[in-house]
Amino acid sequence: MAFDFADFRFVPWLIPAGPLLAFFLIMLISNRARLLPASDQAYGGHHPDYEGMEVPVVRGWSRVLSVVIGMAGVLLSLVVSLHLVSLGWGYGHHFGEEVFASAIPWLDTGTTTFDMGVLVDPLTVIMLFMVPIAVLGIFIYSIGYMAQDPRQSRFFALISLFAGAMLTLVVADNLLLLFVGWEVMGLCSYLLIGFWFEKESASAAAVKAFTTTRVADVIMLLGIVYLYLETGTLSFREILYNPAVLQQLATTPAIILGGSAAALISVFLIAGTIGKSAQFPLHVWLPDAMEGPTPVSAMIHAAAMVSAGIYAIIRMFPLFVAGADPHHGLFNGPLLLMALVGAGTALFAATIALAQNDVKRVLAYSTISQLGFMMAALGIGAWVAAAFHLITHAFFKALLFMASGSVIHGMEHGEHHVHEHAHDDDHDDHHGHDDGHEEAFDPQDMMNMGGLQKRMPVTFITFLIGGFSLAGFPLLTAGFWSKDEILADAWLGVTHGYLPHALVFILLALAAFLTAFYTMRQLGLTFRGEARTEAARHAGLGRGVVSVTMTLPLLGLAVFAILAGYLGVPEDFPLFGALFSPEAVGGNRFHHFVIETLPHNSATAFFAAVPDMQASAPPFMLVPVATSFIVALGGLYLGHRMYWRRPLRAGEADPLIKVLGAEVHETLRRKYYLDELYERIFVRPSFWFAHRAVDEFLDRGIIDGILHLIGRVFTWTGDLLKVLNSWLIDGVGDGIPEGIVALGLRLRHLQTGRVQQYLLYIAIAAILIGIVFAASAGTMVTAG
Amino acid sequence: MIETVFGLDLLSALVVLPALAALLLLVLPQQKRLIRWVALVLGLGLAALAVLAFRHYQLGEPGAGYALEQSTPWFELLGASWHVGIDGISAVLVLLTGILTPLAILVSWEIEERVNMHMALLLFFQTGLMGVFVTLDLLTFFLFWELSLVPMYFLINQWGGPGRQYASVKFMIYSLGGSLGFLLATQLVGWAVSAQLGAPSFDMVTLTETWPVLANTVGATFLGIPIETVKAFAFIGFFVAFAIKVPVWPFHTWLPDAHSEAPTAGSMLLAGAMLKLGAYGFLRLVIPLFPDVWVAELQILGLPATNAATLFAVLAMLGVVLGAFAAFAQNDIKRLVAYSSVNHMGFVVLGLAVAAQAWGEQFIAGGTERLQDAILATNGAVLQMFNHGLSSAGMFLLAGAIYHKTHTRDLRQYGGFWVKAPIYGGIFLFTSMASLGLPGLNGFVGEFLVVRGAWPVFTLLTALAMIGLLFTGAYILKGIRSVLHGPFNMRWRDTRLEIETREVLAIAPLLVLMLVTGVAPNWILPVINDSVTRLLGGLAG
Amino acid sequence: MIPLWMYLVVAALLFCIGIYGVLARRNAVAILMSVELMLNAVNINLVAFWRYLAPQDMSGQAFAAFVFVIAAAEAAVGLAILLFVYRTKRSVIVEDVNLLRW
Repeated sequence: MAFDFADFRFVPWLIPAGPLLAFFLIMLISNRARLLPASDQAYGGHHPDYEGMEVPVVRGWSRVLSVVIGMAGVLLSLVVSLHLVSLGWGYGHHFGEEVFASAIPWLDTGTTTFDMGVLVDPLTVIMLFMVPIAVLGIFIYSIGYMAQDPRQSRFFALISLFAGAMLTLVVADNLLLLFVGWEVMGLCSYLLIGFWFEKESASAAAVKAFTTTRVADVIMLLGIVYLYLETGTLSFREILYNPAVLQQLATTPAIILGGSAAALISVFLIAGTIGKSAQFPLHVWLPDAMEGPTPVSAMIHAAAMVSAGIYAIIRMFPLFVAGADPHHGLFNGPLLLMALVGAGTALFAATIALAQNDVKRVLAYSTISQLGFMMAALGIGAWVAAAFHLITHAFFKALLFMASGSVIHGMEHGEHHVHEHAHDDDHDDHHGHDDGHEEAFDPQDMMNMGGLQKRMPVTFITFLIGGFSLAGFPLLTAGFWSKDEILADAWLGVTHGYLPHALVFILLALAAFLTAFYTMRQLGLTFRGEARTEAARHAGLGRGVVSVTMTLPLLGLAVFAILAGYLGVPEDFPLFGALFSPEAVGGNRFHHFVIETLPHNSATAFFAAVPDMQASAPPFMLVPVATSFIVALGGLYLGHRMYWRRPLRAGEADPLIKVLGAEVHETLRRKYYLDELYERIFVRPSFWFAHRAVDEFLDRGIIDGILHLIGRVFTWTGDLLKVLNSWLIDGVGDGIPEGIVALGLRLRHLQTGRVQQYLLYIAIAAILIGIVFAASAGTMVTAG
Repeated sequence: MIETVFGLDLLSALVVLPALAALLLLVLPQQKRLIRWVALVLGLGLAALAVLAFRHYQLGEPGAGYALEQSTPWFELLGASWHVGIDGISAVLVLLTGILTPLAILVSWEIEERVNMHMALLLFFQTGLMGVFVTLDLLTFFLFWELSLVPMYFLINQWGGPGRQYASVKFMIYSLGGSLGFLLATQLVGWAVSAQLGAPSFDMVTLTETWPVLANTVGATFLGIPIETVKAFAFIGFFVAFAIKVPVWPFHTWLPDAHSEAPTAGSMLLAGAMLKLGAYGFLRLVIPLFPDVWVAELQILGLPATNAATLFAVLAMLGVVLGAFAAFAQNDIKRLVAYSSVNHMGFVVLGLAVAAQAWGEQFIAGGTERLQDAILATNGAVLQMFNHGLSSAGMFLLAGAIYHKTHTRDLRQYGGFWVKAPIYGGIFLFTSMASLGLPGLNGFVGEFLVVRGAWPVFTLLTALAMIGLLFTGAYILKGIRSVLHGPFNMRWRDTRLEIETREVLAIAPLLVLMLVTGVAPNWILPVINDSVTRLLGGLAG
Repeated sequence: MIPLWMYLVVAALLFCIGIYGVLARRNAVAILMSVELMLNAVNINLVAFWRYLAPQDMSGQAFAAFVFVIAAAEAAVGLAILLFVYRTKRSVIVEDVNLLRW
């Protein structure tokens, strides 16, 4: 089958093509550098000056061209995506059963062929709505944020690849292509977290991110392989829309470990998501990923990386539910695993976020916590709610990260300002953050901030919107609606008396409360009160392109962070339901659109064997809504009391320490000592095993030892043979001539030189010969 | 299509012409520039022939068996003949060897001493490799097998690093030790088959038909020894020789020494092409010839009963896991890359073990339940051989490039090179990722297929091998982090670290192939798939 | 007629005298003369055997003639050597001429 882009089924192929093409174009053509001394102003920012060594710095035209190419790539995919989104949104009720899909043969496998293809269904459509918009915001933001960086071209190439990989993952019609996008994103996050690779911490964080997710990925690979083995295909449609296949998967016993094949495959795939979406116990990489430039954090936390994990599970949801029915209290291993891990992580990460002082780290733990919400929702079967939260979270988290990036940028600006004025005479020798100052001053530490409300008003407003959305501020913000739907789904189960639902409900409610609290704490510490350092007093974005490109995306995303929620207002919600989900548009639009993705009506004969994926949105219930109100407002109020009404002054300790007690606070601040624990039980033993056990003991000791022993045995045998040679063979060889010599020495005494003696011998000999002759003549005669 | 070159048929030309080219280089005037250019042009010409041979197979009728077959009596008294031909498996390896040789020559331009001899040895080496890949006669197979040792020994011994004496001797003696059993097994097989056919024959096509069913025709004994014992001895002879070459764990310790001490071009060819000889030997000889031996029940020291194929898979798993750990422990960049070969070839071996198990079961009991697994695993193994050829050659090129400039292989002396060498950094990353098996690049496809094939057959072992896959990531990242990341080591302040244009040209074809194979593996896979399916399915009938 | 054995006895006696002379005499001239005696003893044998056993053949006489010639030549060469030895050593005693020893 050839590509024919006039046919709209082939159009999805174009979506990832733009950014991917941009990556290659920038890498191969437009990324051009010139050599400059590292002490030059153009090589400033986060980089050491290397005693004036010559280093490559991107050329001006290359910087501009690369940005243009990158933007063109993402705009292309945005346009195509929105085209498909509008096509899909207007397609009607059958969109879901009918999809835009096409595939080409990709790999010969014996007598069969593995097909690679793209697929656009309702779930893809909402992702195609969220991802390119968030990515566009991040790209615009990066123009300003990275404007001082000597490697901006490379940054745009990598971030294009990142976007391309995410879009590949979104449009994939099979698990293998999804995995390709998944892993390429892993690579991009590795490269971008380590973008400022000269910093040891950045390099270490990059390695940590890649290694931790790889733990999950190899397990996930096993899941893919196993699924491929059992079904002979990896295509989503062929597996998920095929009750017979699901039935068979749910009843086949697993190849190892007991349980059903479906359950084992699911657990393997969930392991992949636990790594990618940073769930306990593989969440440790995500906070460290803050070492990368802020646009990257936004990319990882919102638009791409972590969303991919949740997206993959939603995509494959019928597989996880195979053999169970959470809406009727029938759970299986994978679902319980997701519910437990998700709800546990949500609360666990929220507690850690309480005690963090790094502005981006708080957000990182909030991401982990929010992903836990989605995971828990999936565990109780509320996949539509999870998808809804995925979208709203992406918007407000992208917003929050970029706003925090603005704060950091502003702080750096302020620090720079302070610095220049303090050292007016020798400011040529120092610029930006060289080694000495980086240690002394941390522009990300909230304890160094304060009072930014006045210095950076736009940033403050947008940060506030994002923060309230994250906290789930009732009725106004997107975060409220999506979180509420998860809680409503959980409560629905509680009303039926299902235990997992109850657990999820309680844990998530607690987590939501903490979320609201630490959000307010962050807002208070950052923006409220008086500046606690000189840098904060002079913080600001300045003027010009940098300021504009870093502000615009904030405003745009702020709009989405509020409005995105109104797509999914429950239709029976008082007042708001009638306002935003009237009967005229078919009620809760988001829900009704997305639910068509998966078989959801087991009444139809075709899906009889598949359990109902989710019949409808949960009805309006007072308890969950009231809970939402209480936890959000309660948390915000508490935070307001502690950090907003009486802002922290310079040198003052965090009031939370007093409330929690120093030990608890320290435990939270050190993230329950998990990093130290992992260091001790995984990292160091691995090093020990590799160095001591394998390299030194096994390979050099035993195997080479045996080889050398064999070598020595042969050398020794050789020595033995040498000795043998020298006395036996040489003895004989030399002995014969020596004997002859000795004989000659004796015989020469006959040679007297006396003629008469010779004659005597002759005479004697003649006589003897005569006698012999005579005797033999006699015998001859007798014989004759 | 062209089928003859200078009156020789294409495959014979591929074997003979490199040697002639080498002789030509030896008699040319001793001017470095001239020698280098002539060698490169000759290498490229030979590469063109290799591509031609590959295309010939690719465009031929699918499932038609050997292409470009030629047979001439050679040593009639022994029944050996000059019998050449390629199927999909050998076509891929011929292509790989053909591509790598000119690149190795281009990289060898950095050699300043005895240039003509160096280039000639590379071409002689190509003769040995091509000979093994195209021949269909066991005796000439053995001949070329041994022939390929000699040039490599001299390359390591004459142009190698500081520990070259030890490394070259270890390499040579270890390989020869394996060859001893190989020679005996070859003679045993030839003898037994001649007893059966009434006329001597070393023809592989004949052997694969007659040897596995020997007991049916010769009877229960041969030379008064039970036929099982005879087969077991022949099996061990072949097994050890090929296992050393692959190298299968624990026969691998010659490899880090040889690879790390060899000159860059030598390492490239050694890892890129020579290791494939062993795996090719398994696929061409040991698996088709000994289906019953592979699955015969073994009882070792009271352990649960097992068979040779399973043990083979255990060794493969150990190779994958311990190879990765060992690589992770290295502080010498070339040793790290060398151990990555142990790790990657472990996957090849795992695929081969699946093929051995499945083909053995099929031979004994019939049935085709394992057929699809075996086909996928073997496809994966062959593809992995090709992929490993690309990525390990690339990695050695890059390691050599940095060694040539800094004169140290110690990773701890590097650091932050990406600052000064952005192009080198980009290429290094790309190649590392291909080696790591990043989806979208070539390594992944092979590994995916092998794991898919091995999972149902050796479930637990495959799961354990995943630890190796994890640590593949660890050692690759260690390499990247040591070379590219971290603060720049100011010791190299005034050293030029950026990659040479010549080296970029040498690695560019590899990079393109890595990407193309990763994105669209079907340019090569039908060729492999066709032959593998025939090998595992066709022989069943 | 005188029987053959008598000739043989005479010849044998003559030969023995010759041998004795050769072995026992110290004077080189005497040794040469003893050699002449031995040769003549042989001559007697040759002639006697010819006469008694094969008179029709000439070979016996021819041999004897040869022996004469050889004896003459031997004497000439021998005396010449002796003369030379005498000139250098001032002696013809054979014990003094032992240069060809080990």
